[in-house]
Amino acid sequence: MKRMVLAALALVGVFVALYLTLYKLGMIGVLACGTGGCERVNTSQWAQFLGMPVSVWGLAFYLVTFIVAFVGTTPRQADNVGLSKLLTAMCGVGVLFSAWLTYLELFVIGAICRYCVVSAVIVTVMFVVSLMDWRTRRDERASAS
Amino acid sequence: MAKNNAQRTAASGPSSRRPFYLILAAIAVLGIVAIVYEKKTSTHRTPEEMNAEYEALKQKYANAGPPQPYVRGKADAPVVIEEFADYECPSCGNFATVTEPDVRARIVDAGLAQYKYYDFPLPMHGNSRQASLAAACADEQGKFWEMHDQLFASQDRWGLSPSEAQVTDNPTPVFQSLAKAIGLDMTKWQQCYDSKKYEARVMANMSEALRRNIDQTPTFFVNGVKIAGAVPYDQLKQAVDNAAKQGPMSAADSALGNIISHH
Repeated sequence: MKRMVLAALALVGVFVALYLTLYKLGMIGVLACGTGGCERVNTSQWAQFLGMPVSVWGLAFYLVTFIVAFVGTTPRQADNVGLSKLLTAMCGVGVLFSAWLTYLELFVIGAICRYCVVSAVIVTVMFVVSLMDWRTRRDERASAS
Repeated sequence: MAKNNAQRTAASGPSSRRPFYLILAAIAVLGIVAIVYEKKTSTHRTPEEMNAEYEALKQKYANAGPPQPYVRGKADAPVVIEEFADYECPSCGNFATVTEPDVRARIVDAGLAQYKYYDFPLPMHGNSRQASLAAACADEQGKFWEMHDQLFASQDRWGLSPSEAQVTDNPTPVFQSLAKAIGLDMTKWQQCYDSKKYEARVMANMSEALRRNIDQTPTFFVNGVKIAGAVPYDQLKQAVDNAAKQGPMSAADSALGNIISHH
C-alpha cells in the first residue's frame, strides 16, 4: 500500500519535472527579463547540474523511482525489504538534493519557483512514506520469522 | 513465512490492484492535460511566431534614427541614469513600483541625476510593444510618467499572470481605462495608439538596447556604467554618488562610450 502511494507520488513528480523540462527547453533564448520567480530560478546558473538542466535530473529521478516503486507493489516483491531500503536511499538523496536547491533559491538566487517547491514537498513526503514502508516490512519480517 | 506470503497474495490480488491502476491513470491523464493546457495558455502565439514578428520589425526600423528616450529631471544634472525596460517584464514592474518612487524623490527630483527611460520590449512578451505605444501616446499629451506608472502597476491585468502566462491577447481595453484614469484626451490618444504613430520611436529605443548588448531587463547605465537587474535603491544611489565624484562625463568619455556601445 505504501509503495502504491510512493509510485503515485513519483508519477506526479514525473509530470512536474516534465513541465519544467519543457519550460526550460522552450525558454532558452538570448534575452531575458530577470524576474523573481520561475524564470529567474530556471535560467540561473544553478539550473544546470553536471551539464544537464536540473529539471532533467528530476525527471530521471522520478521516472526511476516510479518504476522501482511500481515493481515493488507487485505481490512477488512484497517481502523484498532490500527494495524498501533502495527506495528509502533514493528518496533520501532526492530530499538532500531538493534541500540544496531550496537553499540556493532562498539564499543565493533570492527567488522561489513554485514548481520547485512542489517537487521538494513531493520528494519529502516520498521519503517519509518510504521510511514507513521500510519499517513495516522489517517488522513484518521479524514477526514472521 | 509461507502463510504470510499467501495472506499477502490474497490481499493484493489483481482485483485489489485495480484502484491503484485507476489512480495512476488519473494522475497521468491529469498531468498530460495540465501540461497541454499550460502550453496553450502560456503563449497564444508560438515563440517562433513572436520572434518572426520581432525580426520583421527590427528589419523595418533598422534605420529608425537615434533613440528618443523619455526624460525626467534637470538637463544640467551631473549624472545621467538610463533605464532600459520592458513594460511586461515582472522585475521591471517590481522596480517601477517598489524602487522607482524613491529614486525619483531622492535622486531625480532632488537634482542629483537626470533620468532617461528607453523602451526595450522583449520578443517573448506579446503585449509589451503595445504598452510602449500606449505610453508614447501619453507622452504626446505630456503624461508619459503617469502612463508608465499605470502600466507597471497594472501588469497583472494585461501582461503576465503569476505563473508567467499571458493573461490576454488584447490589452487595448486595459490601456484605454488607464489612459482615461490619468485624464488623457481620449480621442487624440486612441488615434495615436491605433495608428502606431510612435512605433519608430519605440523601435529606435529598442535598437539602442540591442546596440548596447543588453540581454536583461531592466538594465541601467549610470553615466555609462552598466548595472543589470532590478537593483535596490541603495545600489543605484551608490552608483550615482560614485559617478558624481568622478565628475560629469567628458565629451571624450561619451564618444568612447558610443564607440564601445556600437560594437
